[in-house]
Amino acid sequence: MTRVEKSLARRYRQERNFKRLGLGAILLGLLFVSFLFISIFANGYTAFQQTFIKLDVFYDPEMIAPVGETDPDVLSAGNYGGLVKATMRELFPSVTSRRDKKKLYGLISTGARFQIRERVMQDPSVIGQRESIWVPADDDVDMLIKGHIDLNLPESDRRIKDDQLSWIQGMQEEGRVEKRFNTTFFTAGDSREPELSGIKGAAVGSFFTLLICLAISFPVGVAAAVYLEEVAPKNRWTDLIEVNINNLAAVPSIVFGLLGLAVFINFFGLPRSVPLVGGLVLALMTLPTIIIASRAALKSVPPSIREAALGVGASPMQTITHHVLPLALPGMLTGTIIGMAQALGETAPLLMIGMVAFIVDIPGGAMDPSAVLPVQIYLWADSPERAFVERTSAAIMVLLAFLISMNLLAVWLRKKFERRW
Amino acid sequence: MDEVINRNSTIARELKAGSGAEVGMQVLNDSQSSGTVGDIYVDDPRMTCRNVNVYYGDKQAIFDIDLDIAKHQVISMIGPSGCGKSTFLRCLNRMNDTIDICKVTGQIKMEGQDIYDGGLDVVPLRASVGMVFQKPNPFPKSIYDNIGYGPRIHGLNDDKDHLDEIVETSLKKAGLWEEVKDRLDQPGTGLSGGQQQRLCIARAIAVSPEVILMDEPCSALDPIATAKIEELIDELRENYTIAIVTHSMQQAARVSQRTAYFHLGKLIEVGETDQIFTAPRHRLTEDYITGRFG
Repeated sequence: MTRVEKSLARRYRQERNFKRLGLGAILLGLLFVSFLFISIFANGYTAFQQTFIKLDVFYDPEMIAPVGETDPDVLSAGNYGGLVKATMRELFPSVTSRRDKKKLYGLISTGARFQIRERVMQDPSVIGQRESIWVPADDDVDMLIKGHIDLNLPESDRRIKDDQLSWIQGMQEEGRVEKRFNTTFFTAGDSREPELSGIKGAAVGSFFTLLICLAISFPVGVAAAVYLEEVAPKNRWTDLIEVNINNLAAVPSIVFGLLGLAVFINFFGLPRSVPLVGGLVLALMTLPTIIIASRAALKSVPPSIREAALGVGASPMQTITHHVLPLALPGMLTGTIIGMAQALGETAPLLMIGMVAFIVDIPGGAMDPSAVLPVQIYLWADSPERAFVERTSAAIMVLLAFLISMNLLAVWLRKKFERRW
Repeated sequence: MDEVINRNSTIARELKAGSGAEVGMQVLNDSQSSGTVGDIYVDDPRMTCRNVNVYYGDKQAIFDIDLDIAKHQVISMIGPSGCGKSTFLRCLNRMNDTIDICKVTGQIKMEGQDIYDGGLDVVPLRASVGMVFQKPNPFPKSIYDNIGYGPRIHGLNDDKDHLDEIVETSLKKAGLWEEVKDRLDQPGTGLSGGQQQRLCIARAIAVSPEVILMDEPCSALDPIATAKIEELIDELRENYTIAIVTHSMQQAARVSQRTAYFHLGKLIEVGETDQIFTAPRHRLTEDYITGRFG
């Protein structure tokens, strides 16, 4: 009895240590995850705001077109850049030297002229009139307003010079500078100018890519899983196939990119940088995941259901389509969604097939060149402008939001259709 | 085999002594080539099995079984675990087909038609030889759909009303109608274990089979549910032929008219249930039913 009691203390101690170890592992994991989220959020949340400057624009008929002109060709040919410059000169009449003027113009984003052109094209009646409009500030001004520029540095090391500072202060005092929600970030494609760049192009590209990927990998994956699990005889060949599928799941994704480059682009002659090829490559990459998940889902359908169906005289095909597949489908969908989430976050294979190109236009279909979200992040992370740092983080936040919602959907599906026998 | 020889030599001695001659002759006639004691033949068989051997890969699970299954009778199959009684039962509707490595030789005839004949389709066979399994396995669908599934896939119903009728009569025959008539749209998996098993019986009945195979149908049920199922089996005998595998000898004695005793893949003895349980002729049968092993 005493011997048992002696060992008892040791056993309990071991159990406690084991629990502590597990808890420690979880806490460490949570720490890293929260560190990741906090750093991304801290870096990125400012990107959802953008500094705007209020300009009192005089739609000068001499620069744009005569009053009453409605021909879009004439209207779009107007000198809107000059208009912006004139407005700025009007705002700061004291600036006269050529160099200073250049610095003054630099405060306003190059996007301002397009914004004004849009305005005029939409409503040509404004020509000859004066109007206050908010235009995006240059990214350096934006960074200054957001406090990302260190004013203690000597002037020569700063992107914003001393006289620019005084102009900005002047405008701030007049209430001409304001931070507003950055809609451009969600409605524009990529751009060399941070204040004009957005993720919509990449998001739409990702959407088309995933659509192609899903359309190919889900039916093929499910069909392969059903065949291997329900129909194929269990022999050396099917074992070999199984081993190969498991191996494929572990192949580095860049290899799939090289394969896509060699087969789809070089052999079949499909265009580069298009979601179609991206989707095909990602489908190859996702297939093993979906097949493995679907086979697991099919395996988890109890054999008693199969026996019950066969017992009342259902054919093997009816047994599969009426009973086994409906029960396995939630598991298959879960696997597919997780595979899709994986594909959404994949970068390397897409670099190989040219989806890393700088593309400004928002793609209109699967055959238009486009970027995808993770590649956009990669591109922005590579850019030297300070304003792209926060946009990189903001794009990561958007990507994470998509990934988390996809995974939540998978969990929800599993919970909703989970059956107990 | 040794047992049979011993017995035969005893009989020979008895014959020599000139006593009990008729009984001795009867026993000799009953000993078939396969070594089964008792009368494997019946006057009015629904199914006849001859020289049935079953192999799982290289391993032989069943050896040379000859057995007739009579119409409107319950035949129970008893024996220790692993004796092949379930395997034999599953041969009768070719459920063993689902196991890749399983091979069946010999003849199993139903109405003169060999069910293992290459030309025979297994789907109509399973419609006429229904099966109830050890664990209740209703489909995870409504009670109605559980019953209606079989008739639907076989096209047995003319229209919706006819299907309603089939569902109702099947549930009535299975003694479940009164309990579930108000909740036919609820999942069959929500019923109690005994109700689920009766649902499975109703599901088997719904396709109007001639034979119903039951593989330890009560082993997962409590005594009250078991009693209900046994009662039901007795009623079903009127319209169907039933073959039941059971571990409970009391159950075999209660529900069946004939009993077959299996041992290590061989059919050792078959006969009227009363006779098997009161006067077993084979040593192994006697040892089993008196509880010496099993």
